[in-house]
Amino acid sequence: MLRILLINDTAKKVGRLKAALTEAGFEVIDESGLTIDLPARVETVRPDVILIDTESPGRDVMEQVVLVSRDQPRPIVMFTDEHDPNVMRQAIKSGVSAYIVEGIHAQRLQPILDVAMARFESDQALRAQLQARDQQLAERKRIELAKGMLMKMKHCNEEEAYTLMRRQAMSRQQKLIQVAEQIITMSELLG
Amino acid sequence: MNETTAGPLAWVNGSDAPEKTEINLGFMALSDCASVVVAATQGFAQPYGLTLNLKRQSSWANLRDKLVSGELDAAHSLYGLVYAVHLGIGGVAPTDMAVLMGLNQNGQSINLSHGLQALGVTSPEALDRHVHQSRTKLTFAQTFPTGTHAMWLYYWLASQGIHPLQDVNSVVVPPPQMLAHLQAGRIDGFCVGEPWCASAVKQNQGFTLATTQTIWPDHPEKVLGCTRAFVEQYPNTARALVMAILEASRFIEDSSENRRSTAKLLSAPEYLDAPLDCIEPRLLGDYADGLGNRWQDPHALRFHAGGEVNVPYLSDGMWFMTQFRRWGLLRDDPDYLGVAREVQQLDVYREAAGAVGVAAEGEDMRSSQLIDGKIWDGSDPTGYARSFKLHAMSESSPLLASR
Repeated sequence: MLRILLINDTAKKVGRLKAALTEAGFEVIDESGLTIDLPARVETVRPDVILIDTESPGRDVMEQVVLVSRDQPRPIVMFTDEHDPNVMRQAIKSGVSAYIVEGIHAQRLQPILDVAMARFESDQALRAQLQARDQQLAERKRIELAKGMLMKMKHCNEEEAYTLMRRQAMSRQQKLIQVAEQIITMSELLG
Repeated sequence: MNETTAGPLAWVNGSDAPEKTEINLGFMALSDCASVVVAATQGFAQPYGLTLNLKRQSSWANLRDKLVSGELDAAHSLYGLVYAVHLGIGGVAPTDMAVLMGLNQNGQSINLSHGLQALGVTSPEALDRHVHQSRTKLTFAQTFPTGTHAMWLYYWLASQGIHPLQDVNSVVVPPPQMLAHLQAGRIDGFCVGEPWCASAVKQNQGFTLATTQTIWPDHPEKVLGCTRAFVEQYPNTARALVMAILEASRFIEDSSENRRSTAKLLSAPEYLDAPLDCIEPRLLGDYADGLGNRWQDPHALRFHAGGEVNVPYLSDGMWFMTQFRRWGLLRDDPDYLGVAREVQQLDVYREAAGAVGVAAEGEDMRSSQLIDGKIWDGSDPTGYARSFKLHAMSESSPLLASR
């Protein structure tokens, strides 16, 4: 039976996977302590598989675990440590990153990833959508329009107008397009 | 889409048109991501027909995985991380990587706890004495085993006579957790980027013992990294991306007013989500160490300097390999120059720089003197890697990698 160390250090509550995985017949050790202690915990628990939220900052600590284990009898490698971008993409989509003891067959991990995938499917829907190209073109035109208005209003050249707009945008923590829209609105208002 | 406007839009329509127009651009929430964020939000890429979608990442490991899998096209990356992936060190299969340009130099630092301060450890000499006389080992944190912070920390400790892998413990801690661990006494010091060092000083939770610019004035730090497949598949996109970020870098340094507004932008929740007073002062070179010293730093974080910062020098890339070798992360000497020539995209950079009027001619290498007095100019990497008194090249190294 595979022994799984489940690292539970983010809001995503990877820990909720525990029940599902236990039900599927795995031995699961739930770890919700400090990530700084991870290397020591891995040493003590000696898991076959380590699961961690893909988005956890603790993944950089796991990187240290991987490096330190290299010359040991049971080196730990990332599940995706192979030349197949598809496997990697699938692993990223599953929402958890898996580290396995070298030698464990990838097939034995598939049911684990399936369980994780099903659990986090709902999270996927929340992911941001790519912006449409049309929108980009529209933005560029609006920025040009605002720049022209500003040049007229401030009697300045193109570069000065850009600088003014960008400074304003950055100081207000906005994108250039937002300031452009404000300029357009304002000059329409002032007619 | 048939756009026929003249001017900069010619790039979009001519033979130089980007092959891929939507770029997913990764970054970590650190002050030195500024040029990437400014380029993406302030309309620097649109004239070249690119849309930059910023993607904040929660760890370097995740940023790396997404670069390799293609979920990110390019990213604000640790110099060493790009080389580690290329050389197959760490949790991912070796993948051909590329450095498109340097994003910044300087601006990281080594901070120690108040506990050490109370023991009088406020100078490098005092730290050296403490480490060699005290019975308990101190623990130092950095951010990624092959990252720049690990290399600065190791180099600095070694330059003070402290072996970073034997005389002290070295651990990885994610930057946002550094302060909590320092306060709880689980670590005694750390090397990290901003705003975390300024934040430690500001919150009176530690002091800055050394800035990384004292280790190597104008040292390379973050780069714009991507896979080589990306550059080969989308050469026009790669060039346009460098042009946009170069222009943003230049814009940030055009005036102190621009720097200030950059700091304001960075402090927003979607970027650094950190107080302005932890970002702005050090971005302007205004340093306070928490021990009562305050100075205007001549080698503060910089993004452009007329292009000096942005050239992907072969010698900069090679330096990280010499340190991997020194600390046992590489078991054998790589073909330093050959690998650097593969990774550093000098041609793409020079074309892009020329197109936006940034000086692009010059040498492929640069010469620098580091804190231990050694000169690094890229001419003898194998000899340089072996020239250090303190190292971990022997087989027994705890961090020995390479399978």
